[in-house]
Amino acid sequence: MSRRRLGRLVHGALLGLVALYSVFPIYFITVQSLKTAEEDVFGSPLYVLRPTFENYTELFRGAEARVRGFVIVPRVPFLIWLANSALVLGLAVALTLAAAVAAGYALGRLRPPGWRWWRRALFATYVVPHTILFIPLYQVILALGLDDSHGALVLVYSTMALPFCVWLLSAYYHHLPREIEDSAVVEGASRATAFLRVVLPMSRNVLIAAGLFTVGTVGNDFMLASIFLLTPEKQTVAAGLGVMDVSLEELLAVAGVNLAAVPVALACAVLARRYVEGVTAAMLEGA
Amino acid sequence: MPASMRPGRRREVLVAHALLAPALLLVLGVLAYPVAWEAWISLTSFAARAERPAFVGLANYRAMLADPFFWRALATTVVYFAATTAAKLALGLAMALLLARPARGRALVFLAVFLPWAYPGGVTVVAWYWMLNPPLITSYSVPVGNLKHAVDGLLGGGAYAFASVMLFNIWRGASFTAVFLLAGLNAIPTELFEYARLEERSAWRRFRHVTVPLLRPFLALAVFLSFTGAFADLANVWMLTGGRIVFPVIGTYAYWLGVRSGDLAAAAAWSLSLVPLLALALVVLFRWFDPPREEPA
Amino acid sequence: MAQVLMKDLNKKYDEVHAVKDVNLHIRDKEFIVLVGPSGCGKSTTLRMVAGLEEITSGEIVIGDRVVNDLPPKDRDIAMVFQNYALYPHMTVYDNMAFGLKMRKFPRAEIEKRVREAAEILGIQDLLKRKPRQLSGGQRQRVAVGRAIVRHPQVFLFDEPLSNLDAKLRVQMRVELKRLHDRLETTAIYVTHDQVEAMTLGDRVVVMKDGWVQQVGEPLELYSRPANRFVAGFIGSPAMNFVDVAIAESNGALWAETPGLRIRVPGEQSERLRRYAGQRVTLGVRPEDLRVATTADPPEYAFDSVVEVVEPLGAEMLLDVRAGAHGMVVRVDPSVRVKVHEKVRLALDPARLHFFDLATEAAI
Repeated sequence: MSRRRLGRLVHGALLGLVALYSVFPIYFITVQSLKTAEEDVFGSPLYVLRPTFENYTELFRGAEARVRGFVIVPRVPFLIWLANSALVLGLAVALTLAAAVAAGYALGRLRPPGWRWWRRALFATYVVPHTILFIPLYQVILALGLDDSHGALVLVYSTMALPFCVWLLSAYYHHLPREIEDSAVVEGASRATAFLRVVLPMSRNVLIAAGLFTVGTVGNDFMLASIFLLTPEKQTVAAGLGVMDVSLEELLAVAGVNLAAVPVALACAVLARRYVEGVTAAMLEGA
Repeated sequence: MPASMRPGRRREVLVAHALLAPALLLVLGVLAYPVAWEAWISLTSFAARAERPAFVGLANYRAMLADPFFWRALATTVVYFAATTAAKLALGLAMALLLARPARGRALVFLAVFLPWAYPGGVTVVAWYWMLNPPLITSYSVPVGNLKHAVDGLLGGGAYAFASVMLFNIWRGASFTAVFLLAGLNAIPTELFEYARLEERSAWRRFRHVTVPLLRPFLALAVFLSFTGAFADLANVWMLTGGRIVFPVIGTYAYWLGVRSGDLAAAAAWSLSLVPLLALALVVLFRWFDPPREEPA
Repeated sequence: MAQVLMKDLNKKYDEVHAVKDVNLHIRDKEFIVLVGPSGCGKSTTLRMVAGLEEITSGEIVIGDRVVNDLPPKDRDIAMVFQNYALYPHMTVYDNMAFGLKMRKFPRAEIEKRVREAAEILGIQDLLKRKPRQLSGGQRQRVAVGRAIVRHPQVFLFDEPLSNLDAKLRVQMRVELKRLHDRLETTAIYVTHDQVEAMTLGDRVVVMKDGWVQQVGEPLELYSRPANRFVAGFIGSPAMNFVDVAIAESNGALWAETPGLRIRVPGEQSERLRRYAGQRVTLGVRPEDLRVATTADPPEYAFDSVVEVVEPLGAEMLLDVRAGAHGMVVRVDPSVRVKVHEKVRLALDPARLHFFDLATEAAI
């Protein structure tokens, strides 16, 4: 076998290995969620012989509690949680991106004196460990009467990914050639219109990159959500599962989180390539 | 603002400040009070069940620094950060390099690599928890249990759990790093690589002397984000397992101090002890991903 | 009347004085070219006319209005940029229509103008495409089309051909000239390429270090350069410069340097007399030198050694050395010379240039 072909085979094999390694835990947990209680105990962890969706349908079930084995499983308002999650995540991403685009444009294109330091200062907020910050945060929330509100959570979420997004966007706007905006201005657009009609549409890939980063960072949170949102009507999936009397041992919980993840995963699958393009575009050094 | 600034520029600067304001307000508004609170608290004797807290200056810090447990925890923390970051970088870089070269089905592999980080952390943590610490009796519980025993016996109690968290963090973080570094590789013009192939036959030397320096800004940024990511994952695991998995790591111990035993002042001191470390890391890394450059006239 | 007037125009960036006291009167329908090396201030001047740079001092008049304080969109100008600056997310049609949409033109009028411009430029079939699907030349046409549809008073071109390959550049040059003849609109064109300047401009403005060096018709700049810089910048290959000493002998003036002794022709003697005993710079273009024949008077001939022969097909360039001085000579391709050969060269006394050594001004 020629060296080239061998090299290609090895390359292919490695790629396969990487894919397997990346997907395995997700595959694993999906398989588990499709099992009945018995098969869960006795079946192999790697595949499911008699797949069932009962864990998933359970999530949407009616009011009565069910007795399964020796454990009483309460009903969970999963749909509501799902909707809340979508709402909170969506708002957080929107808020983050809006603030990041404005700040990124200001620092990258308009460059007021000291712009480099503003950017570094914002990024430097990442050095503060968030461990017990939730305590004073919660104090403030209580004092303002904002407990159990989505708004407060959205505001806090939006600060999590903001420094990086500002960084990314400011790098992108820094490298964007001036002529495109100049051209729009000469053609009769005000600076604001030039930005909205020309620069912003061009930034699509970078915005997707920043947006996905925000989703990845914010979606990871359990702690804040479970502290800030108290009533089941308001809770997101993360909050609900974190607080509910549903322990991780339950396949129900497993199914629940998996379901919540699916739309996110799908969106990411669609946007993945643009994410890479966006990061590349932002950090690309000028010619 | 210098008076010598032209009116057009002055207006531009004002607009810039106005656009910058929302981001600054958000971050300051949300973080200023909590951080200040934490700093202040660390200087008092505040405890949840105690009477009026008194200002004790640096007493908490002194006590912390005198505590051998702190140093052990610090060492463990540093090891945790260093080991996971090194692994994430190595793995991420390897994956990025693999993906950079065209191959059939590459797009699918890319998607697969993207998933671990994109998939909400809550789910994947559950997955790993089930894989390594099956909560129910399952067919694979016994071998896993044996493994756990072996590891714990070798490295001390709780080591297996700790290792599981590290593996989880590495799995997740390497995915992010890989995608990020892939973007970096894309940003480098192919001519540079082609030229390197003409000059240097050894692939390893090419890698060391051409690829790595060109990727430096990305690597630096990835390293820093790996630190923050490692921290966040730790908190998540703790939270989800209801604090059952206790590690002698500064972050979780601070949490335990604050929430479980109510000694908030000490918790604050412990929590803030990491700031100088991270700040140092940031200063070093800034040099690589945000070098001050001359602005052309 | 779309004339453009620049009065005492200056531009300072903090420490750098980029444009210094520029005074220009550009007539209606004129195609004027600003040319010079990088950093000479030509682009900055253009951008001040466009309104993209603020004027430090001085005045700019377009038509009959002083436009100093007017924003670009109110100046009735259109601009074509070096890298076309096409909006990547819009189709060609939308790119061209953008300016008109900004000014709230009715849709029918926009359509009419865009199609008209597209036809003039030959891009009617590309209207639905996006910029990334176009070649460099096509993109450049779209950029020009975008400017045309606005029917402005003045066209501004900022090195529009620099990003094209050589062949395309020559082609587009001709097209631009034809376009100008057809549209009859005042145009200010910036380039660093003196060939473009000479072929396109009704008049050419040579700039250096922020100063205007000379303004005039191309041929005037070529045959009567005002200073050494213009002489060396216009014309390719560049003019040969030799530092000589002016000596008087028997009432006649001679320009001397080791290896070269040329008589100063009668017309120029008057002006050069006061330089007797001093040094000046002698300038002669490669095309004004030729291989000497026995008929050539010896006072306008000199010996040289051939160092490099460059056959170009329609002509031949010889790099020669006369004494310590290297020169370039343009000769007929039929000339037979070899490297290291001695060759006697003659020059045309009517085509000699002299420059003051210190001020570099033409004498």
